[in-house]
Amino acid sequence: MGEEKDLLSTLLLELRRGTLTISVLSQMKEPKYGYALVQSLEEKGVAIDPNTLYPLLRRLENQGLLESKWETGGAKPRKYYQRTEYGTEIYEKLKAYWQNLSAGMERLLREEEA
Amino acid sequence: MTPNEKDYMDRYIYQVIRRLPKAQRDEVRMELEELISDMYTDKGSMEEVLTELGDPAEFAKQYQSDQRYLIGPEYFDTYLWFVRVVFICTAIPILGISLINAIGEMPAVTSQSAAPVIIRAIVSGLTAGITDALLSCVTAFGAVTLTFAIMERKKIQLEMKKAEKWSVKSLSEEKKTAAFRWTPKFLEPVPDKKAMISRGDSIAGIVFIVIFSVLLIFAPNFFAAFFTEGETVTTVPVFNLEQWGIVLPAFILSLLIGLADEILRLIVGVYCSLVMISNIVCGVLQILLGIVVLKVLPIWNPNFALELEMALGDKADSGARFLTYWNADMVSNGLLTFIVAITLFEIGATIYKTLRYGVSIRNEKNLGA
Repeated sequence: MGEEKDLLSTLLLELRRGTLTISVLSQMKEPKYGYALVQSLEEKGVAIDPNTLYPLLRRLENQGLLESKWETGGAKPRKYYQRTEYGTEIYEKLKAYWQNLSAGMERLLREEEA
Repeated sequence: MTPNEKDYMDRYIYQVIRRLPKAQRDEVRMELEELISDMYTDKGSMEEVLTELGDPAEFAKQYQSDQRYLIGPEYFDTYLWFVRVVFICTAIPILGISLINAIGEMPAVTSQSAAPVIIRAIVSGLTAGITDALLSCVTAFGAVTLTFAIMERKKIQLEMKKAEKWSVKSLSEEKKTAAFRWTPKFLEPVPDKKAMISRGDSIAGIVFIVIFSVLLIFAPNFFAAFFTEGETVTTVPVFNLEQWGIVLPAFILSLLIGLADEILRLIVGVYCSLVMISNIVCGVLQILLGIVVLKVLPIWNPNFALELEMALGDKADSGARFLTYWNADMVSNGLLTFIVAITLFEIGATIYKTLRYGVSIRNEKNLGA
């Protein structure tokens, strides 16, 4: 039983991993700080744990898809992330690929139901 | 936030960042302070916030995107194979040498005590040999692992360089690079069974060369005629031990060339032009060095016949009597002829097998044709 659960969670993790990148990139046209992003994603039905999101933001920044800036004007320092030009280029390509993929997946899964 | 809650936040953050590289710690600390205080404002309870964030060790793992292994799957099979070969090539020579050593140090054998003395010598040789072999295998394992770990790092670095150069622009230029893409033409023909080089032969060759080299370096006096007279053992060395410093380097160089050739065969595993060329070059070099060692350098003990006669004394009917007809020139010529014949035979066999069955030579066929 435990093994089955492990397998399922591994498979779910693999399935989610790629979609997280697109989800995050889609929200980063305007600068946002981490927790605001957590909340806006949750509102839109794509919840990401903060302990996944924060490391992911750093990785995307290292890959040149996002850039960050510390805002020290407010009550406490906040780190704002925003898509770079390169990030936007990649995002558009990922989006096109995703739309294609999800249309195909939709057909496959419908077929099963019928 | 109460001081107690602030304290718990600091504890949590500390548990995350202590697992991260130093260079990242300060910034991650600031990020987490921002995140946790935002969540606290939202939820109102530090306990709830930290419970939601979960085990700090798991959190830290998410930050560690770098490779967390010494030898990756790409190198792992090769690595295992290498460890096995290196173990064999380390353990067997050491066992062999320990046995030879133990028998060499054996006290004089009289006919009554022969069996127990020999058994004792073999047992002590085996014990020492197994201990040494185990120790050497651990060392060899470490050396091989280190080498592969370095290779793994280097490859990772190369890939990172490639990733930096990769860009969206190059994606649209994909068609230009299509020429470099893999096509079925890259498929090498399945090697003929007769093109395979036997691993056993290569390993046996390596083991032999290693044992021989170690004996030549550390125990050249082992190559000698042994006589027992009552309790004492007399040895008359075959080699010129006084001039050994001059002879040994050339001798060892020749063995190293042979070793390199065997290792190349073992790694490549099939007859191909590389193996053939290596075999020809190494063979020619070995013949040349053989001439130098046997005909130019003072390899033989010049007093062999004389010392032998003294050692034999009056035992005229000893079976070893014929050794007194020792003639250095004759031995040199005989050995040289033998070496040249063996080497030429091996080169010939390699050339024949490469041309007949070798890989890449038969690779000219086209898929469509």
